[in-house]
Amino acid sequence: MRLTRAQRHLLDEGTDAQRKAMEILLTVGRLADAPRLVPITSAHVSGASYKMIGDPGLEFLEDFARHARVSVPTTVNPLGTDLAQWEELGVPATFAEKQGRIARAYETMGVRPTFSCTPYLIGVRPAFGEHVAWAESSAVCFANSVLGARTNREGGPAALAAAIVGATPEYGLHTDEGREPTVIVQVRVRPRGIDYSLIGLVAGERVGDGLPFFRGFRASEGELKWLGAALASSGACGMFHLEGVTPEAREARVKGLKSITIAEKDLIAAKRAHTDGTEADLIGFGSPQLSADELQRIAHLIERTPPRIPVWIFTSRVVRDANPDAVGIVERHGGRVLADTCLEVTLLEHRFGTVATPSGKGAYYLPSLCKQKVIFDDVETLLERYT
Amino acid sequence: MRIRARGIVPGRASGQAIASRTPFSFVGGVDPATGSILDDATGVAGERMEGRIFAFPGGKGSTVGSYVVYGLGKRGHGPAAIVNQRADAVVAVGATLAGIPMVDRVDVGGLRTGDRIVVDANRGSIELPDVKGNRVVTAILRNRGHILLVRRSEKVGSFRGRWSAISGHIEGREDPKHRAVVEVREETGLRGIVFRSAGEPVLARDGATMYIVHPFLFEAPSRRVHLDWENVEHRWIRPEELHRFETVPRLTDVVSAVLGPPA
Repeated sequence: MRLTRAQRHLLDEGTDAQRKAMEILLTVGRLADAPRLVPITSAHVSGASYKMIGDPGLEFLEDFARHARVSVPTTVNPLGTDLAQWEELGVPATFAEKQGRIARAYETMGVRPTFSCTPYLIGVRPAFGEHVAWAESSAVCFANSVLGARTNREGGPAALAAAIVGATPEYGLHTDEGREPTVIVQVRVRPRGIDYSLIGLVAGERVGDGLPFFRGFRASEGELKWLGAALASSGACGMFHLEGVTPEAREARVKGLKSITIAEKDLIAAKRAHTDGTEADLIGFGSPQLSADELQRIAHLIERTPPRIPVWIFTSRVVRDANPDAVGIVERHGGRVLADTCLEVTLLEHRFGTVATPSGKGAYYLPSLCKQKVIFDDVETLLERYT
Repeated sequence: MRIRARGIVPGRASGQAIASRTPFSFVGGVDPATGSILDDATGVAGERMEGRIFAFPGGKGSTVGSYVVYGLGKRGHGPAAIVNQRADAVVAVGATLAGIPMVDRVDVGGLRTGDRIVVDANRGSIELPDVKGNRVVTAILRNRGHILLVRRSEKVGSFRGRWSAISGHIEGREDPKHRAVVEVREETGLRGIVFRSAGEPVLARDGATMYIVHPFLFEAPSRRVHLDWENVEHRWIRPEELHRFETVPRLTDVVSAVLGPPA
């Protein structure tokens, strides 16, 4: 790989962490045959939940934090619990203590303690064409598809290395060629509610690591968040186009591409496939964390149809702090608005066995990551069912 | 013998191999405190990684694997080097964090637990000082979906009586594809074959000998074969029938290298 003089300097004479970061980027670049590193304007790192990375991850991060300092604005993924409410959630003290150490290690490195999977909802919105290095598959999908920024699906350590160096290997979704669609997905339904998640789940399963070009429906930015998160869960997709909606769809080359169709029956089958529970003991809203609009809307619905089982709503600390009224409504009706963490990386298996959720990503990961049975349905349907 | 590889994490190391048959996850596959292999499917459970050359097809499973490799290396329980067929980012990043030399694009199916191996990720090679290398070509001839198998005569130097595809030794620095064309002409008399593709070399092991097999696929214009002294009979078979024949080592993998894995 061709390095600039500054990059060469970091590799040869940087701090221990800078040299290690350069080595990581070179390794990733070699695997992908990347010709060089491209400068980035922001990084978003994953690997912050103690439930996910355990003692091996904690050990690495604490060691690395001794020297590592990020050189571009860097945000970090959700933790394994809410740092302010963990005791009331019944989270063991050792878990919370180790989780706190992971959070401090990231802060020591200069990472903004956002603990959010939706950096784009809390002010980190790279401009069209900007190169960034984001981990967190749902945010990657959003940044590429909706914002037109450029990032590969980075692994946690690779994104951290990019944050330290300020550059990332140039291949895949950083290149024009890598952003061309590989398959047309014709959608023959008028989606609403969880249909966006379902379209994502079905398409991800069918296209694998391809790049889908969707046709046949409209979607708001919020709806595309749910579609992309589901798509990036069941598939290895880092980007999609939606004709007439996403910014690079018009320029995309679709001539001669294979076309697949998603119809109503596919969505029904996917919903059934991701529902294996019968009676929920928790309703979980998140995965990805809710926007302010979504939080307010759900608070309003909870006020109208108060649920009789616990409701946990996951959002960012920023959104939680900015919406005390909505938080108040949820809490008055026995629910919780949790920050710093998210549905599938949070510790909930110590208390619950079946979770009801409208999130496709949540429905996809809850069985494996949280050992939960799942009831996958629309927000309104779930709240009415458990009122 | 020396085998070309792709350097992934720089460095050089030597040691005895542990060769896993199956893809490996460092999460759950190894005891992080001791470096002892736990995964039974590898065929090498109970072996300790420390000081060894760990060969496996590639990584699988959780991204936490990177941190496990780091921890193993930090405590001195990690392998001396890693050899993969196809490296993945989780193991490669872990090896980088731990400073463990790593190469890939090696057909680990030819390596045996206990082999002495020198890994040189700087040059991009692995060396097996106790094994003799023997470069050969294998030409898969295809005609209307069937491929040609021949049974080796009693007069040839190796694998007498076994079923094989058309094959021969590469002499000196000659071009393997050229050798394949020559062998087809000599052993079958077929003319007008059309080159289709070449596969990654397959390492076929026979004791202290390693056959480095360069696979080629050719389209044959007809099935009219005239055998020479090297083979005694021939059959045109469907690729999925291959398992019914007693073949030379790894012929199935050689066929897969040019035709893709069996359906």
